[in-house]
Amino acid sequence: MMNDIKARGSSEPLAPPSRNVLGYLLRLGGLAIVDAFAVWFLYVLLRDGVWPIAIPVALIVILVNIVNLNERLAAMRWQIPAVSIILLIVVFPIAFTIYSSFTNYRSGHILSKQQVINQLEGRLYLPEGGPTFAWAAYRNPDGEFGLWLVDEAGNKFWALPDAPIEEAGAVSEDIGPVDDDGYPTRVGEYRRLTGGDLFRSLEALNGVRFGEGDEAVQIRNTRQAATLQPRYQYDPERDAIIDQLEGTVYFGNEERGYFISEEGQNLLPGYQVMIGTRNYERLFTSPAFRGPFIRIFLWTIAFALLSVVTTFALGLLLAMAFNDPLLPGRKLIRSLLIIPYTLPGIIGVLIWRGMLNPFVGVLATTSQSIFGWFPPFLTDPFWVKVGILLVNLWLGYPYMMLISSGALQSIPEDIYDAAAVDGANAWQRFWNITLPLLLVSVGPLLIASFVFNFNNFTVIFGYNEGRPPIAGSPTPAGHSDILISYTYRIAFEGGRGSDYAYAAAVTVVIFAIVAILTLIQFRFTRQWEEVSESV
Amino acid sequence: MKPQKTWLAILLLLFASFALMACAGGADNAGETPAEEIEEEPATAPTVEEEPVEEMTEEPVEEPTEEMTEEATEEEEATEEADDGAVVRDPEADLVIWADETRAPVLQGVADMFEEEFGVVVAVQQVDFGEIRNQVGIAGPAGEGPDIFVGAHDWLGELVANGTVAEMDLTGIEDQFEPSALEAFTYNGILYGMPYATENIAFFCNPDIVETMPATWDDVLALSEELAPQGITGWTIETNDPYHWFPQITAFGGYVFGVTEEGYDATDVGLDSEGAIAAAEWLGQMVEAGFVQPGMDRNTRLALYNNGDLACFNGGPWDLPDLRDAGTPYMVGPFPAGTAGPGEPFLGVQGFMISPFSEDPLLAQAFLTDFVATEDVMFQLYEAGGRPPAFLPALERVEDEDLQAFAEVGANARPMPAIPEMSAVWSAWGNAQELIIGGELEPAEAMMEAAQQIRDAISAANE
Repeated sequence: MMNDIKARGSSEPLAPPSRNVLGYLLRLGGLAIVDAFAVWFLYVLLRDGVWPIAIPVALIVILVNIVNLNERLAAMRWQIPAVSIILLIVVFPIAFTIYSSFTNYRSGHILSKQQVINQLEGRLYLPEGGPTFAWAAYRNPDGEFGLWLVDEAGNKFWALPDAPIEEAGAVSEDIGPVDDDGYPTRVGEYRRLTGGDLFRSLEALNGVRFGEGDEAVQIRNTRQAATLQPRYQYDPERDAIIDQLEGTVYFGNEERGYFISEEGQNLLPGYQVMIGTRNYERLFTSPAFRGPFIRIFLWTIAFALLSVVTTFALGLLLAMAFNDPLLPGRKLIRSLLIIPYTLPGIIGVLIWRGMLNPFVGVLATTSQSIFGWFPPFLTDPFWVKVGILLVNLWLGYPYMMLISSGALQSIPEDIYDAAAVDGANAWQRFWNITLPLLLVSVGPLLIASFVFNFNNFTVIFGYNEGRPPIAGSPTPAGHSDILISYTYRIAFEGGRGSDYAYAAAVTVVIFAIVAILTLIQFRFTRQWEEVSESV
Repeated sequence: MKPQKTWLAILLLLFASFALMACAGGADNAGETPAEEIEEEPATAPTVEEEPVEEMTEEPVEEPTEEMTEEATEEEEATEEADDGAVVRDPEADLVIWADETRAPVLQGVADMFEEEFGVVVAVQQVDFGEIRNQVGIAGPAGEGPDIFVGAHDWLGELVANGTVAEMDLTGIEDQFEPSALEAFTYNGILYGMPYATENIAFFCNPDIVETMPATWDDVLALSEELAPQGITGWTIETNDPYHWFPQITAFGGYVFGVTEEGYDATDVGLDSEGAIAAAEWLGQMVEAGFVQPGMDRNTRLALYNNGDLACFNGGPWDLPDLRDAGTPYMVGPFPAGTAGPGEPFLGVQGFMISPFSEDPLLAQAFLTDFVATEDVMFQLYEAGGRPPAFLPALERVEDEDLQAFAEVGANARPMPAIPEMSAVWSAWGNAQELIIGGELEPAEAMMEAAQQIRDAISAANE
């Protein structure tokens, strides 16, 4: 198809594929269904104001349409589902994280501005000295409501929406007999609502103003109705919220995400705004960055690197040991060795944590009774790191064993034979043949393992929550914290609850660090590839 | 010919789209004109999840209880559909309640009664207690949140700042609640919750090891010295758990945030006050003598106590079941005194709150005030949760002596600060405790460092 198009050249318009009208119609039908759902989905998204999701969805839909309707792009038709999925599942979360890092999305700034205005405008207050009433609700056959009110002095009133409240004696309609609660069973065509009828009507009764102007009465709860007034009003021209009770004016502040009075008082709740690079500025100027950051960064690299090296070394050793077909029972032993891989990581970590517990742990108490000493694996800054590496080794070696076993099989025997003829000893054969050839195939997996461990929150937090704490640090930080667990700390144990936007900013920075480290490592693997080519 | 054909196709597609929108539109518009649609069937909400709640791992749907099996209610059918692990609002329900595993079965019973009597469908969804706090902030604004949720009073600062909790109106029944519990649920002068239980820790001792409870913290130190030769620890504490450490700090006059007439003052951090440092130094003595060692957590502490290796500890009502199951004898009483009087623990209050995104807040209020705030239901909640009720008629029915002892200690308890700045406190304070117990820092130094960390975090967040 591609060649076809190229051969025809771009200036010559394509003939419609008349040989396959049915296929064309089917495709059009399928596209129509996709589009219909997409437009509906977009409608829902836009109605809720979720722009960051609506825009990429719209772009993808346009792309899908162009590709499917333009004959020149026919070759791309089979790519487009994959491309769409990549855009939605990979690119979008990254874009959304970057977007979030430029907002103030955190505790206190969860809602959109419109949601905040709606919520504030819904708040009511009872003016001082405003009357309160006991009430009963009524409904006529048209579904309109009426309210029978009894004030504190026992005076009775009849109120309808947007009509003056009448004293019960002045009501022209005939009033039914009084029921056990002391309320008339009906007023004209209006019948009293009780039990389930009343409870099911509460949603419709909510916010209905019975009466006119300032006298209007609203239901407050099942026992009381009162002349409630809206507490806040939004003035779009000044972009301000006016407090009707206090008279204070709060102006919208797009920098801080609050309505703020002239005295500097914030009106809660706050809303989401774009704050530019402030999260990044805060990261690079905060004591959190100056203080333990370098130390944590170095430990993160050491942890990731040592985890890869130790797991790979042990995995390879075991793989080579069990690669020998003469070894009896190797299948069974190999199966048993894989068990740690089949356990969920966090379970393994917690089991180890229990066994290492200095007071009641099996390993600790046994070692105490035999040697009188046990490394403080959970409390000492140095031994905690050793403990984490050991647990991670236990968790990670089966994977390395599996991939090494496979890769070992692929190294041709004749190279070893040739080496033996040349008089190479076992170490030389391993160092000059096995390892370089192995690294060619497992090198990318080792990098993947490094990146995985770089962000291995589960092991760090499950083992000891990054503890013990670092003394003298300007922000809370632990000796075994890695970057990602430290991010968790500063984002979610910070000054005022959860700071998602700040976490996003730190994540973007970590992403950049990991990307750079990975690029450097790929350089190294390229060297290994050259080795393999020269063999 | 080609361009025309493309345009025709696009036109066709647009037409199809609008046709579909028109169909869906009927349901979407329901919210705009509520008054006209009361009598209609509940409009089916769109099945598209605009914001999937991914973090929710807890199975949200309460298993139908045995009493329910007789009649297959609409609600059961509705709940069975939502078993994909995410908390999705049940579109059939008039009211949705989020409650933790302890409270959910009790509320389910009330919900069934409510439905039977009034035909109002109440769905009780089980959500992990700690998750509720985060999820009301995520699911609420997206329209998937509950009408009523269970929570603790110290969430209020954050919830109010987020705009994810609505005012509560208990007019007429306020006098049936413990005043301190209502006060705890009042933030900036506004009531936000209906309390059902209070909780605080107290001092536990093993009567087989000590005859009378130590009256002062110096007695605790003396007791530890006395028991050490027998291999028994006199008193110990979790290594990184400031909540349990607090009563010892207050006994020496320490505090977390200063109190003004308007409530807690976030600019007055008291962890490096004279009293707090004196308390830390007492703990430092215990560490130096080897009585308090690092690596302690709740399970370890319970294991030591149940083995008879520990005489006293600071513990809560949640420790009672473990001790009773193990059959270890215990006595519960007030905390030993320091230079500033007896230790005062934090008071925590649990209650029901209403979401500001509720479509039917009056019904939510009515359900709480008319059906949950009754002696029977409140007593059932007490039996399920094992905390002293905050509802006075139910509290009067409690006969458990241990809980009465807890309630007595709680009479002096200080409400845990509900201001959002509290989130900066826990980790810094806990680290100070761990540094003292680990012997890494001098007690005074550790406390001053923690206080400084807290001040920095608060000022950074307020920038």
